[in-house]
Amino acid sequence: MPELLSHKEFYEKTLKKDEPVPEEIAQDCYTVFACRHKFCREICPVYQETRNESHTSYGFHSAILSVSRGIEKLENVKDTFTYCLECGACELRCPNTLFGGDFYKRRTTTVDLVRKIRRDLVSQNEKPAGWEEVEKKIDQYKGYYSSTPEEIRQWARGIEIPTTGDTVLFVDYFTAFQETVTVRLAAQILKKAGVRFAVIEKPGITLGELYENNFNEWLKNAEETVKALEDAGAKKVIVVNPHEYMYFVREYPKHLGTLPFEVVFITDFIWDLIEKEKIRFTQEVSISATYHDPCTLNKHCGIWESPRKIIESIPGMEYVDEDPVSQWYNCCGNGVASFKELHPDLSYRIGMSRLRRAADLGVQYLLLGCPHCKDQLSEVQTKSRINVEPVHLLEIVAKAMGMEV
Amino acid sequence: MAGVMKYGTVNDKILEELRGIVGDENVLTLPHHRAIRASVPAPFPLHRWDVHTPDAVVLPGSTEEVSEIMKLANNYKIPVVPRGGGAGLADGAVPLRKGIVLDIKRMSEIIEIDEIDRTVTVQTGINMQELNRVLEKLDLWFPDDPASYAVNAIGGRIGTGGWSLIGAFGGHVPDLVLSMEVVLPTGDVIRVGNGGGRKIRKSSVGFRLKDLFIGHQGTLGIATEATLDVFPRPEVEFPAFFGYKSFEHAYENAFKMTTSGLRTIAGVVLFDEEKVEYLRRDDEAYIPQPKEVKSIIAVVMYGTEAEVEGAKKKIFEIAEKDGGMYLGEEISEGDWASRHDRYALPLHGRRRSDWQVVPMSWHCEDAAITHSNIPYVRKRWHEIASRYIEKYDGIFDDWGMFMYSNPPFRPWGDYLTEIDIGINEMALDEETWQAWVNMKREIAEVVIEVEGSISACHGGTREGDVEVCVRKELKDGQFELMKKIKRMLDPNNIMNPGKYMLDEAYEEEG
Repeated sequence: MPELLSHKEFYEKTLKKDEPVPEEIAQDCYTVFACRHKFCREICPVYQETRNESHTSYGFHSAILSVSRGIEKLENVKDTFTYCLECGACELRCPNTLFGGDFYKRRTTTVDLVRKIRRDLVSQNEKPAGWEEVEKKIDQYKGYYSSTPEEIRQWARGIEIPTTGDTVLFVDYFTAFQETVTVRLAAQILKKAGVRFAVIEKPGITLGELYENNFNEWLKNAEETVKALEDAGAKKVIVVNPHEYMYFVREYPKHLGTLPFEVVFITDFIWDLIEKEKIRFTQEVSISATYHDPCTLNKHCGIWESPRKIIESIPGMEYVDEDPVSQWYNCCGNGVASFKELHPDLSYRIGMSRLRRAADLGVQYLLLGCPHCKDQLSEVQTKSRINVEPVHLLEIVAKAMGMEV
Repeated sequence: MAGVMKYGTVNDKILEELRGIVGDENVLTLPHHRAIRASVPAPFPLHRWDVHTPDAVVLPGSTEEVSEIMKLANNYKIPVVPRGGGAGLADGAVPLRKGIVLDIKRMSEIIEIDEIDRTVTVQTGINMQELNRVLEKLDLWFPDDPASYAVNAIGGRIGTGGWSLIGAFGGHVPDLVLSMEVVLPTGDVIRVGNGGGRKIRKSSVGFRLKDLFIGHQGTLGIATEATLDVFPRPEVEFPAFFGYKSFEHAYENAFKMTTSGLRTIAGVVLFDEEKVEYLRRDDEAYIPQPKEVKSIIAVVMYGTEAEVEGAKKKIFEIAEKDGGMYLGEEISEGDWASRHDRYALPLHGRRRSDWQVVPMSWHCEDAAITHSNIPYVRKRWHEIASRYIEKYDGIFDDWGMFMYSNPPFRPWGDYLTEIDIGINEMALDEETWQAWVNMKREIAEVVIEVEGSISACHGGTREGDVEVCVRKELKDGQFELMKKIKRMLDPNNIMNPGKYMLDEAYEEEG
């Protein structure tokens, strides 16, 4: 679990229009401005497409510093701050994090700053262009939340799963209602491996967009989710969606303290089952493939090993690895929260660049570890016809286990 | 201000015309977009940020668009400041007369890779690491390796006459650019090279005009396309770090290394005692070093496996002669791999009185100094820095010195000699800024005293440096000729005006 070096409590107070920027925020932004070497720039998947350095960690921090110095008005930065996928590459590549982070127990936190500025401006009714799309999405998820337990459980039709137990598979509304294949496969794989697990009846809304639109509402939902898991008797929570995993291990503890259960990502859990020989691969999967590290998993949570170990243990696979540090450079283009709703064209271009890099390796498949990447890159592949097939690695696992996919 | 032209203002009509050239989304006018393009990594007078904030930013995509922008600016007499990666250390891209910042980073296409004649032709907004990512698939390599390797734009490298850390092996930017397309201040487009050949490395035809358009700090034009030399990727890269019990031991040993005749040496770097002390503040690679390690040499070699294997043995023998202790593979490889960004974190800054962390920006004052003069320059520079730190504790900090073997294709003779100064920009006011400028001036004057050049790679355009550069270093007719050339190429003084005191060229004209 990543250390919470990034928790800056002074980000929690709303930055108000027409009020001075607090000194702590100005100093925090200065620590990035002071560097100005901009190692955060070329690595940024948004910058790689726009080539506009306003859309970088350096740009964001300097913009707020310019507000603190009376050069800019806070409300003028609202659209600039939408040009961030929240992928986290810039934070890691920042020399302040890379070489001083551990020593000083303090790192660059661009993603938190971006979330904060979006949230602070929206709360003062300074909404960026296109924000109504984000609000629509939040409403859509409120609709999911109001559904009956049967509707919420549709993704698992035909699979018997209790609602209480030590081990809980966490299913958020995106995977319950939209990209349903992945969680269904996860449940089937766990069943076949003999794992006894439960799924809670109704989580709160864990949507990243809500985190940026209304912090208090998001926090209430986070509390509800954690309580529902606790009430279900969870000691261990298995998470399939890496965006959710990131919220569980990095965001909830910031605001709710240590969680009353262990949180495990699905690939770590499956690798453990493989090592214990509870999962055995009986079928060859004769394909050539590379793997795309999901930003939330690799850059935010440092999980890159278990997906590779799983892939490398699949018989018949011709695997071409691109190392996880080189992959800081990549993103599928979906982003963690509102990016795709606000910049669909740019999102598509970023997705195409990712698929092209995979196609350049001469492989047939791009293996994924995230349902959002799956959703995004499948759409990009259909439109662009770039010759590489995005597929979630759980599909390959299921095939190798001899399951019908 | 004497000698400053009367410039037009960037009004709505001009913005409309700019949008017509580059498209709406590529003209930026909000204050924060402009403010973040006011500075480079060199110390910046934050207390007067607005003075350097341009009126507009344009992001062109082609030579034609750059040419149209220049014609427009020349017509309305609007200053234009070119900006590449914004990673320069001599304020080349810092506007002094407002106007338009012309950001070249959207021009990032690779136009041609010629595997037979060993060249690559690029738009100049591309970064070297991005370029090498493509070249490496063909086993080719563009060996330009500055601290800003991951972030620079080729165009910025050309504008500053950039220097490569491994230049003893592959040469520096002036050696690596074979020819280029340059948009002049009037909007005319020319191609300069070695003679007229686009891919020729040596010619005796015409004047050496290519060199005129390298290192001019954006005062004479904008390179928009360049044909570059590419090398075969070396089979082996071998870095070795050695520790010495004093700077004098390391210095003696560096002489033996650089004059050893080993052709595989790509660079020799000396860390002085203050630098090693500084690294022991918080760098996990240096804190555990034995206390007798007071000074360091990093040497790196490139070549075929056979060449480097042979040379390795010899370099270890040489190191031993002055008591050089090999610091091991982990430091050698790890530090070499992180050479571009390891040594200058803002949080390294300290206030001497209570040793508190004070975030500071890194200033690198570099000069070209011959081997024989290094001990004198080192002593004087640290003395100057100490004097200012004593007076302004918490504002300035001495981060020690590096000395890098500097000449192209050979490691001996002169060194890029740098003193790194931390500067707390958040606390700057006019008094401390002037103190800073005075410190720089004193540092530059030492260089003139020993007949060095006040910048090996960044340029002599910074406040403090520039007067020493123009009045002393270039006094024997060079500055006079520079002014004539400037006036001829830029009749309205719109290309990065104010830099190198070239406003004086127009003052004399009356």
